[in-house]
Amino acid sequence: MNYLSAFKISASGMTVEKARLDVTAMNLANVHSTRTADGRAFVPMQVISVAKQGAPFASYLSAASLHGAGAQVVGVRERNAAPRMVYEPGHPEADGKGFVAYPGVDPVGEMVNLISTMRAYEANVAALNAAKTMALKALELGGNT
Amino acid sequence: MLALSESDRITTALVMMALDAAALRHQAIANNLANVHSQDYRPQRLNFEEQLSALRHAVDTRGSITPTALAQVRPFIETGAMRAAGSLAEKMDMELVKLSQNAVHYQSLLKALDKRGTIFSLAVNEGRR
Repeated sequence: MNYLSAFKISASGMTVEKARLDVTAMNLANVHSTRTADGRAFVPMQVISVAKQGAPFASYLSAASLHGAGAQVVGVRERNAAPRMVYEPGHPEADGKGFVAYPGVDPVGEMVNLISTMRAYEANVAALNAAKTMALKALELGGNT
Repeated sequence: MLALSESDRITTALVMMALDAAALRHQAIANNLANVHSQDYRPQRLNFEEQLSALRHAVDTRGSITPTALAQVRPFIETGAMRAAGSLAEKMDMELVKLSQNAVHYQSLLKALDKRGTIFSLAVNEGRR
Protein backbone atom coordinates (compact mmCIF):
# COMPACT_ATOMS: atom_id res chain seq x y z
CA MET A 1 0.00 0.00 0.00
CA ASN A 2 1.42 3.33 -1.06
CA TYR A 3 0.34 5.18 2.05
CA LEU A 4 2.48 8.23 1.23
CA SER A 5 0.18 9.33 -1.59
CA ALA A 6 -2.88 8.85 0.63
CA PHE A 7 -1.27 11.11 3.24
CA LYS A 8 -0.37 13.66 0.59
CA ILE A 9 -3.92 13.78 -0.78
CA SER A 10 -5.45 14.38 2.66
CA ALA A 11 -2.76 16.94 3.55
CA SER A 12 -3.47 18.90 0.35
CA GLY A 13 -7.18 18.94 1.24
CA MET A 14 -6.34 20.24 4.72
CA THR A 15 -4.14 22.98 3.22
CA VAL A 16 -6.98 24.13 0.95
CA GLU A 17 -9.46 24.21 3.84
CA LYS A 18 -7.00 26.14 5.99
CA ALA A 19 -6.61 28.74 3.22
CA ARG A 20 -10.41 29.05 3.07
CA LEU A 21 -10.50 29.52 6.85
CA ASP A 22 -7.81 32.24 6.64
CA VAL A 23 -9.75 34.14 3.98
CA THR A 24 -13.03 33.81 5.88
CA ALA A 25 -11.33 35.11 9.03
CA MET A 26 -9.85 38.01 7.04
CA ASN A 27 -13.27 38.92 5.61
CA LEU A 28 -14.85 38.85 9.07
CA ALA A 29 -11.98 40.82 10.61
CA ASN A 30 -12.48 43.58 8.03
CA VAL A 31 -16.24 43.99 8.41
CA HIS A 32 -15.72 47.55 9.67
CA SER A 33 -12.56 48.47 7.73
CA THR A 34 -13.29 51.56 5.64
CA ARG A 35 -10.11 51.14 3.59
CA THR A 36 -6.91 49.07 3.36
CA ALA A 37 -3.40 50.33 4.19
CA ASP A 38 -2.85 51.51 0.59
CA GLY A 39 -6.00 53.64 0.67
CA ARG A 40 -8.25 51.45 -1.53
CA ALA A 41 -11.54 50.09 -0.25
CA PHE A 42 -11.43 46.57 1.19
CA VAL A 43 -13.28 43.98 -0.92
CA PRO A 44 -14.24 40.55 0.52
CA MET A 45 -12.06 37.78 -0.90
CA GLN A 46 -12.84 34.26 -2.14
CA VAL A 47 -10.54 31.22 -2.43
CA ILE A 48 -10.59 29.38 -5.77
CA SER A 49 -9.50 25.74 -5.52
CA VAL A 50 -9.36 22.96 -8.11
CA ALA A 51 -8.39 19.30 -8.22
CA LYS A 52 -4.68 18.65 -8.60
CA GLN A 53 -3.69 16.21 -11.33
CA GLY A 54 -0.83 13.74 -11.00
CA ALA A 55 2.38 14.49 -12.91
CA PRO A 56 2.18 13.26 -16.52
CA PHE A 57 5.35 11.20 -16.26
CA ALA A 58 4.31 9.55 -13.01
CA SER A 59 1.08 8.49 -14.71
CA TYR A 60 3.09 6.11 -16.85
CA LEU A 61 4.50 4.48 -13.74
CA SER A 62 1.31 3.95 -11.78
CA ALA A 63 -2.37 3.98 -12.55
CA ALA A 64 -3.17 5.76 -9.29
CA SER A 65 -1.33 9.00 -10.02
CA LEU A 66 -3.13 9.35 -13.33
CA HIS A 67 -6.29 10.41 -11.54
CA GLY A 68 -5.49 13.39 -9.42
CA ALA A 69 -3.43 13.95 -6.34
CA GLY A 70 -5.57 15.99 -4.00
CA ALA A 71 -6.66 19.61 -4.24
CA GLN A 72 -4.86 22.93 -4.60
CA VAL A 73 -5.59 26.63 -4.27
CA VAL A 74 -5.23 28.41 -7.63
CA GLY A 75 -6.04 31.89 -6.44
CA VAL A 76 -7.67 34.27 -3.99
CA ARG A 77 -9.96 36.63 -5.89
CA GLU A 78 -12.03 39.62 -4.92
CA ARG A 79 -15.68 38.81 -4.53
CA ASN A 80 -18.23 40.76 -6.51
CA ALA A 81 -19.83 42.58 -3.58
CA ALA A 82 -21.06 46.18 -3.54
CA PRO A 83 -19.96 48.25 -0.52
CA ARG A 84 -22.40 48.70 2.34
CA MET A 85 -23.24 52.42 2.65
CA VAL A 86 -23.95 53.55 6.21
CA TYR A 87 -25.09 57.08 7.11
CA GLU A 88 -22.57 58.41 9.65
CA PRO A 89 -22.08 62.16 9.02
CA GLY A 90 -19.56 62.55 11.85
CA HIS A 91 -17.26 59.81 10.55
CA PRO A 92 -13.88 61.12 9.29
CA GLU A 93 -14.13 58.83 6.23
CA ALA A 94 -17.68 59.90 5.31
CA ASP A 95 -18.30 61.18 1.77
CA GLY A 96 -19.98 64.51 0.87
CA LYS A 97 -23.48 63.18 1.65
CA GLY A 98 -22.40 61.76 5.03
CA PHE A 99 -22.22 58.09 3.96
CA VAL A 100 -19.37 55.74 4.94
CA ALA A 101 -18.55 52.84 2.59
CA TYR A 102 -18.03 49.63 4.54
CA PRO A 103 -17.00 46.41 2.73
CA GLY A 104 -19.89 44.26 1.51
CA VAL A 105 -19.03 41.38 3.84
CA ASP A 106 -21.92 38.96 4.32
CA PRO A 107 -21.51 37.81 7.96
CA VAL A 108 -24.09 35.00 7.69
CA GLY A 109 -22.53 33.69 4.47
CA GLU A 110 -19.08 33.85 6.04
CA MET A 111 -20.27 31.86 9.07
CA VAL A 112 -21.81 29.21 6.80
CA ASN A 113 -18.48 29.09 4.93
CA LEU A 114 -16.71 28.70 8.24
CA ILE A 115 -18.84 25.70 9.25
CA SER A 116 -18.52 23.92 5.89
CA THR A 117 -14.76 24.56 5.89
CA MET A 118 -14.45 23.05 9.37
CA ARG A 119 -16.46 19.98 8.40
CA ALA A 120 -14.39 19.46 5.25
CA TYR A 121 -11.20 19.80 7.28
CA GLU A 122 -12.48 17.20 9.75
CA ALA A 123 -13.34 14.84 6.90
CA ASN A 124 -9.77 15.13 5.61
CA VAL A 125 -8.43 14.39 9.09
CA ALA A 126 -10.69 11.31 9.26
CA ALA A 127 -9.30 10.10 5.91
CA LEU A 128 -5.77 10.69 7.16
CA ASN A 129 -6.44 8.72 10.36
CA ALA A 130 -7.97 5.85 8.38
CA ALA A 131 -4.87 5.72 6.16
CA LYS A 132 -2.67 5.68 9.25
CA THR A 133 -4.66 2.85 10.86
CA MET A 134 -4.54 0.81 7.64
CA ALA A 135 -0.79 1.29 7.19
CA LEU A 136 -0.02 0.42 10.81
CA LYS A 137 -2.23 -2.69 10.63
CA ALA A 138 -0.33 -3.79 7.52
CA LEU A 139 2.90 -3.50 9.51
CA GLU A 140 1.51 -5.99 12.06
CA LEU A 141 1.17 -8.67 9.37
CA GLY A 142 2.92 -11.84 10.47
CA GLY A 143 3.97 -10.29 13.75
CA ASN A 144 2.19 -12.77 16.03
CA THR A 145 3.28 -15.98 14.38
CA MET B 1 -1.56 -31.60 3.55
CA LEU B 2 -0.15 -28.10 3.47
CA ALA B 3 1.74 -27.89 0.22
CA LEU B 4 1.66 -24.64 -1.70
CA SER B 5 -0.94 -25.79 -4.19
CA GLU B 6 -2.09 -23.87 -7.25
CA SER B 7 -5.36 -22.79 -5.64
CA ASP B 8 -3.46 -21.66 -2.57
CA ARG B 9 -1.24 -19.38 -4.62
CA ILE B 10 -4.29 -18.03 -6.44
CA THR B 11 -6.00 -17.29 -3.12
CA THR B 12 -2.98 -15.38 -1.85
CA ALA B 13 -2.67 -13.43 -5.09
CA LEU B 14 -6.39 -12.60 -4.93
CA VAL B 15 -6.15 -11.38 -1.32
CA MET B 16 -3.11 -9.25 -2.20
CA MET B 17 -4.99 -7.77 -5.15
CA ALA B 18 -7.98 -7.02 -2.91
CA LEU B 19 -5.59 -5.27 -0.49
CA ASP B 20 -4.22 -3.16 -3.34
CA ALA B 21 -7.78 -2.39 -4.41
CA ALA B 22 -8.73 -1.28 -0.89
CA ALA B 23 -5.65 0.98 -0.72
CA LEU B 24 -6.55 2.44 -4.11
CA ARG B 25 -10.16 2.95 -3.04
CA HIS B 26 -8.92 4.81 0.00
CA GLN B 27 -7.01 7.15 -2.32
CA ALA B 28 -10.12 7.77 -4.41
CA ILE B 29 -12.22 8.58 -1.32
CA ALA B 30 -9.46 10.77 0.15
CA ASN B 31 -9.32 12.62 -3.16
CA ASN B 32 -13.10 13.15 -3.13
CA LEU B 33 -12.89 14.52 0.41
CA ALA B 34 -9.92 16.78 -0.41
CA ASN B 35 -11.83 18.25 -3.35
CA VAL B 36 -15.11 19.00 -1.56
CA HIS B 37 -14.74 22.69 -2.42
CA SER B 38 -12.92 22.36 -5.76
CA GLN B 39 -14.42 23.76 -8.94
CA ASP B 40 -15.17 21.47 -11.89
CA TYR B 41 -14.34 18.34 -9.91
CA ARG B 42 -15.38 14.88 -11.02
CA PRO B 43 -15.73 12.43 -8.11
CA GLN B 44 -13.65 9.25 -8.36
CA ARG B 45 -14.56 5.66 -7.64
CA LEU B 46 -12.84 2.31 -7.83
CA ASN B 47 -13.63 -0.28 -10.47
CA PHE B 48 -12.79 -3.70 -9.01
CA GLU B 49 -15.78 -5.69 -7.77
CA GLU B 50 -17.35 -5.50 -11.24
CA GLN B 51 -14.37 -7.38 -12.65
CA LEU B 52 -14.62 -10.14 -10.06
CA SER B 53 -17.89 -11.46 -11.52
CA ALA B 54 -15.91 -13.20 -14.31
CA LEU B 55 -13.79 -14.95 -11.68
CA ARG B 56 -16.89 -15.92 -9.73
CA HIS B 57 -18.34 -17.42 -12.88
CA ALA B 58 -15.12 -19.45 -13.39
CA VAL B 59 -15.38 -20.81 -9.86
CA ASP B 60 -19.04 -21.74 -10.39
CA THR B 61 -18.45 -23.56 -13.68
CA ARG B 62 -14.97 -25.06 -13.36
CA GLY B 63 -14.39 -24.94 -9.62
CA SER B 64 -11.10 -23.04 -9.91
CA ILE B 65 -9.50 -19.84 -11.15
CA THR B 66 -6.68 -19.96 -13.68
CA PRO B 67 -3.71 -17.57 -13.33
CA THR B 68 -4.50 -16.11 -16.77
CA ALA B 69 -8.04 -15.24 -15.66
CA LEU B 70 -6.61 -13.60 -12.55
CA ALA B 71 -4.10 -11.59 -14.57
CA GLN B 72 -6.96 -9.92 -16.45
CA VAL B 73 -8.36 -8.40 -13.25
CA ARG B 74 -6.84 -5.04 -12.39
CA PRO B 75 -8.36 -2.52 -9.96
CA PHE B 76 -8.37 1.02 -11.35
CA ILE B 77 -9.80 4.43 -10.47
CA GLU B 78 -12.47 5.88 -12.76
CA THR B 79 -13.95 9.36 -12.76
CA GLY B 80 -17.67 9.99 -12.51
CA ALA B 81 -19.90 12.72 -13.90
CA MET B 82 -19.13 16.41 -13.35
CA ARG B 83 -20.75 17.99 -10.33
CA ALA B 84 -21.24 21.63 -9.42
CA ALA B 85 -18.77 22.98 -6.87
CA GLY B 86 -19.90 22.39 -3.31
CA SER B 87 -22.54 19.80 -4.14
CA LEU B 88 -20.08 17.11 -3.05
CA ALA B 89 -20.33 18.60 0.44
CA GLU B 90 -23.81 17.09 0.67
CA LYS B 91 -22.37 13.65 -0.06
CA MET B 92 -19.52 14.05 2.41
CA ASP B 93 -21.21 11.83 5.01
CA MET B 94 -21.62 9.02 2.49
CA GLU B 95 -17.95 9.31 1.53
CA LEU B 96 -17.02 9.00 5.21
CA VAL B 97 -19.21 5.89 5.52
CA LYS B 98 -17.37 4.38 2.53
CA LEU B 99 -14.08 5.40 4.12
CA SER B 100 -14.75 3.53 7.39
CA GLN B 101 -16.15 0.53 5.53
CA ASN B 102 -13.05 0.38 3.35
CA ALA B 103 -10.69 0.64 6.35
CA VAL B 104 -12.45 -2.26 8.10
CA HIS B 105 -12.43 -4.26 4.87
CA TYR B 106 -8.68 -3.68 4.50
CA GLN B 107 -8.05 -4.83 8.06
CA SER B 108 -10.17 -7.96 7.65
CA LEU B 109 -8.17 -8.89 4.53
CA LEU B 110 -4.96 -8.41 6.49
CA LYS B 111 -6.36 -10.59 9.25
CA ALA B 112 -7.16 -13.34 6.75
CA LEU B 113 -3.65 -13.18 5.31
CA ASP B 114 -2.20 -13.25 8.81
CA LYS B 115 -4.26 -16.30 9.83
CA ARG B 116 -3.11 -18.12 6.73
CA GLY B 117 0.46 -17.48 7.81
CA THR B 118 -0.39 -18.87 11.24
CA ILE B 119 -1.50 -22.16 9.69
CA PHE B 120 1.86 -22.53 7.95
CA SER B 121 3.67 -21.56 11.11
CA LEU B 122 1.75 -24.26 12.99
CA ALA B 123 2.83 -26.86 10.42
CA VAL B 124 6.45 -25.74 10.52
CA ASN B 125 6.51 -25.96 14.32
CA GLU B 126 5.05 -29.51 14.25
CA GLY B 127 1.78 -28.44 15.78
CA ARG B 128 3.27 -26.57 18.71
CA ARG B 129 2.35 -22.91 19.08
